[in-house]
Amino acid sequence: MMTAIILFCSCEKQEEEGTFQFDNPELAFELPAGFPALNNAFYANKPTQYAVELGERLFNEPKFSGNNTISCGSCHNPNHAFADNKPRAIGINDRVGLRNTPPIQNMAFMQFYNWDGNILELEKQPLVPIITHEEMNSSILEVIAKLEQVPAYRDLFWKAFGDPEITPERIYRSIAQYEYTLVSANSKYDRIKRQEGEQFTETEAEGYRLFQQKCASCHATELFTDQSFRNVGFPANSDTQEAGRARVTGLPADYMQFRVPSLRNIVYTAPYGSFGQFATLRDVLDYFDKGVSDAANLDPLLKANGNRIPLNENEKEAILSFLETLSDEEFVGQ
Amino acid sequence: MKNLKNYLTLSVCTLALAACSKNEDNPVANNLELQFNNTFKEQTIVLGGANASSATKNTSAQGQVHHFSELKYVLSNIRLIKADGGEIPYNINDLDKGATVIDQAKASTLRYVLSNVPAGAYKQLKFGLGVKTELNTLDQLRFPAFYNTAGANDTKMMWEWGTGYRFTKIEGFYDTDSKPLSIHTGSTVAGSEGNQTQGVDAYREITLDLATQAQVGATAPRITIKADFDKLLSGKTNTITLSTGTSQSDNATPNIHTAVQMLKFVDNLGGNGVNDLSGIFSVSQVEN
Repeated sequence: MMTAIILFCSCEKQEEEGTFQFDNPELAFELPAGFPALNNAFYANKPTQYAVELGERLFNEPKFSGNNTISCGSCHNPNHAFADNKPRAIGINDRVGLRNTPPIQNMAFMQFYNWDGNILELEKQPLVPIITHEEMNSSILEVIAKLEQVPAYRDLFWKAFGDPEITPERIYRSIAQYEYTLVSANSKYDRIKRQEGEQFTETEAEGYRLFQQKCASCHATELFTDQSFRNVGFPANSDTQEAGRARVTGLPADYMQFRVPSLRNIVYTAPYGSFGQFATLRDVLDYFDKGVSDAANLDPLLKANGNRIPLNENEKEAILSFLETLSDEEFVGQ
Repeated sequence: MKNLKNYLTLSVCTLALAACSKNEDNPVANNLELQFNNTFKEQTIVLGGANASSATKNTSAQGQVHHFSELKYVLSNIRLIKADGGEIPYNINDLDKGATVIDQAKASTLRYVLSNVPAGAYKQLKFGLGVKTELNTLDQLRFPAFYNTAGANDTKMMWEWGTGYRFTKIEGFYDTDSKPLSIHTGSTVAGSEGNQTQGVDAYREITLDLATQAQVGATAPRITIKADFDKLLSGKTNTITLSTGTSQSDNATPNIHTAVQMLKFVDNLGGNGVNDLSGIFSVSQVEN
């Protein structure tokens, strides 16, 4: 009988503590002018103070990998706009992945994730690298078992979700919340658009004019991508797992199509192309100028222009200097 | 009062005992065994490497000789149809208890025993080749046993990038020079209702009539199911010629690691869901 009373008391006390402590305010989320609509999944998982804090820590947690060496941040390096400088991603035990690491920025505004758009909701993505042989080569229960050994996570999960339980869903949701907060909209270009007193140089202005003429039909909106999938005739990845967008849809028309990349912070994410075919942005422009590989489903805009985007050297210089104005130094910590 | 309670308890026990002894004579449930025989036409498949003379060779309608070194597929969503039409689902929403990986290299996996099947006569068997979309999420927390079976190093029935299971995994060789063939199927469906959706559904429902009804009760019947992999290339829906290369028109190896061209193979294996509901599967025997 005594035991029962003691148990009863301790239960009640814990409950009170739990209710008292749980206060996890939603964070303000600013929509930069001209950005496209938010992904619907965002509304069901809006960033909160403590889940974002937890998500950031999980993002940089090497215990996510089988041998505790690789975190999300290993490939998604903030100094490279959360991409890296390798042609293809390098994961656990130096295993080489299929594709170039995509930057993580402005994710809340994207309707498709990864170069083939296989993921439609950000919360569905974190499991993929955890279980992929070439990335982290672990499993979610293995990860949870390791996190349970770290006392700090108990508090972090409690603050974020109201009790200390570590679940797969909570891991996915907190990482996604952290990633939603990675908004980059403070480049020189943005400041000029917002009329904060800066001006394009003459070359940059010329580059912007050329860009609007020759690039903006795909690199559209203030995200600098229309989020469509296109085959622009880049040298193809001969890896047998690669089919571009068709890997997901199975449609011949989607074969070797890839999501048009955003050009924000593009100077930080070399090399370029789905598997890093191009070392520099100049290489990309040279390739478009010389002419791309033909394909049955080559983008109609390229087809209509003889499979190329003709550019002289001055024009390339101008476009390159315009692209530099899309760099958000604060975002990449420089 | 206390006495009355005791009597009541006693009588409940007696009743329970009576019910039990009745069960022994005429059980309310028993096992039902599914035995899989993977063949090329009538010949049971023997796996083998590129130059293995022991491997079972098959020739497709298009004249391509081929054999397999690896042959696996996932079975789930099993339902038994009673003679009166009633449907008995077998752990259809529990992959740990109701799904299995058939692996030609492991004899024990060719036999799948359904336990505690309600007594009665059954006229039809339904199952899924693959995993239905709502369960196809690599959810280790919910179904740890199936997750571990499918993910084992010698099994590899996961499509990590699609966060789903592989439904079929066939490795082998074709043509006289033994070029490798590699055919993997699985779903790439993504997106929830009300939002945008995409991808191909490689899950197929199989319906097999039992010419002899399976009698579950005093006996535990065994149904032998033939899976005729001759139909992989020479199917009811598609006649396939394998060709090697990296263009999208090539399909032998190892290009069927994506959704491209995959459905041709899926429809041959599991039926097209329209006029073919059995694909490679047929019932060869029911033993009561």
